[in-house]
Order: sequence, then structure tokens, then C-alpha cells
Amino acid sequence: MTRSSWKGPFVDGYLLAKAEAARQSGRNEVIKIWSRRSTILPQFIGLVFGVYNGKKFLPVQVSENMVGHKFGEFSPTRTFTGHSSDKKAKRG
Amino acid sequence: MGVIGRAHGVRGHVRVLSYTAEPTDLDEYNPLQDDRGRSFSLQWVGDGVAQITCHEAGADRVVSDRSGAEALVNTRLYVERDRLPPPDEDEFYLADLVGLQAISLDGSQLGQVTAVHDYGAGASLEIGVLLVPFTRAAVPEVDVAAGRLVVNPPAEIVVNASAGQAGGAP
Repeated sequence: MTRSSWKGPFVDGYLLAKAEAARQSGRNEVIKIWSRRSTILPQFIGLVFGVYNGKKFLPVQVSENMVGHKFGEFSPTRTFTGHSSDKKAKRG
Repeated sequence: MGVIGRAHGVRGHVRVLSYTAEPTDLDEYNPLQDDRGRSFSLQWVGDGVAQITCHEAGADRVVSDRSGAEALVNTRLYVERDRLPPPDEDEFYLADLVGLQAISLDGSQLGQVTAVHDYGAGASLEIGVLLVPFTRAAVPEVDVAAGRLVVNPPAEIVVNASAGQAGGAP
């Protein structure tokens, strides 16, 4: 069942304060969070969060098409490194 | 680049597990080598199923029967690094990043890049216990030829405990 639209997206309140502080500082900072259940809001775009996966804070660079998803979706709790093969990484 | 799986049917076809970014691109790297130096080419004939051609002593032999296909099961396929096309600007092969020496802005050694993670929210580098987002701010310089990269480890945001409160909708 989907969440009722009148409630709006769920976000833990402290995230908004941390995101605001990061945006105002303008420095190279990672916002460490434990709230995997929070929805990614448009005001988080461009920020880097460290989302706890039970062991480490995995860096999550928020982009436009992540809005509406939950932070936990981008910080898996089980390890699978895969094979590098011809895979490439672009510097954000 | 991939590994040959079980035989498929009686015409010498095999299942192939491709590790390339786009799985169907594996045949673009023909010929492929195995760990014993043998050379193979593959041609996709179905979804994840391929026909293998062995290149032996100047002659090409198409694997056309099931027993020939079964002899290739679990063969790992490789390609030389210099045959990969050059990456775009500000783009790096994961295989090139792993093993680079990380140094901080003041020149001190931070360790070696042990893994590169990408779970759909940008790549991050694992340097010992440190996890660094692969951004221009955190990794201002990457020199693959020299085997090093400069890391500016991001600071942690600290906010007043009274600001915001846990739980609830905004």
C-alpha cells in the first residue's frame, strides 16, 4: 500500500537541519546519517550523504533522478564488489 | 571479462556470464584469452548463449558439439588492458583506480585504493578504513600513469543538537 499523499514524504527532521548546514558551509563535507528510511527531497540535490549500512557510512551523491527514493536504497547492507571488467567511474 | 558456463543444447553452444558494463558488449573484445593463454572468439546466438570459436595454432575451430562445449565450462575470459578503449575525460576504469596510492593534500600517505564501489549514487573509493566520494572536491587529482591520486577527505557536518528533531514528516 502506498503512503497517503496528504502526509507528504517522510523525512527525519534532523536531516533537514544537517542539509541546510552543509549547504550554507559550502565546504567539502559529508553528512553522516543513520536514517535510511528518509525520502530524498529536491533540496538534497548536489549534497553528499554518508548513509550508514550497519558497518560503514557509504557516500551517496544525491542527483536529480534520486528524488523520491529512500536513502537506504543506495547503501546496500550486504557486500558484493562484483568484477571491474570494463566498468568506468565518472568523477562527480 | 566473463566466464563460460554450462553447455546449452547439442550444437556446441554455451552459456556465457558477461561482466562487462553492457553484457552484450563482450563480443566486441574478440579475441579473448583464458588463463592458459588460449584464444577464443564468441558470437551471441541467443540471450546469454554464445557459439565459441577456438583459435589454435593459426587455425580456427568452431565448437560445434556438446562435448566440445562441456570442455570449456568454467573457462574465465580475459582481455589485455591496452585493448580497452580510452575513457572519456574525467572518467576512469575501475580496474585502473584500484591499487593507486592515495596521498593527502599535505603530501602524507593515506594508503592504497582497495576497492571502488558504485551502488547507483556515484562512485566511492575505499582507502583502508576511509570511504571517500569520487568527486572533484574529495579527489582533486588522479594520475593513473604515476599510480597516485590526491585525496581531500571530506569533513563531517556537525549541527546543534537542538536543530531539527528525529522522526516525523517535514
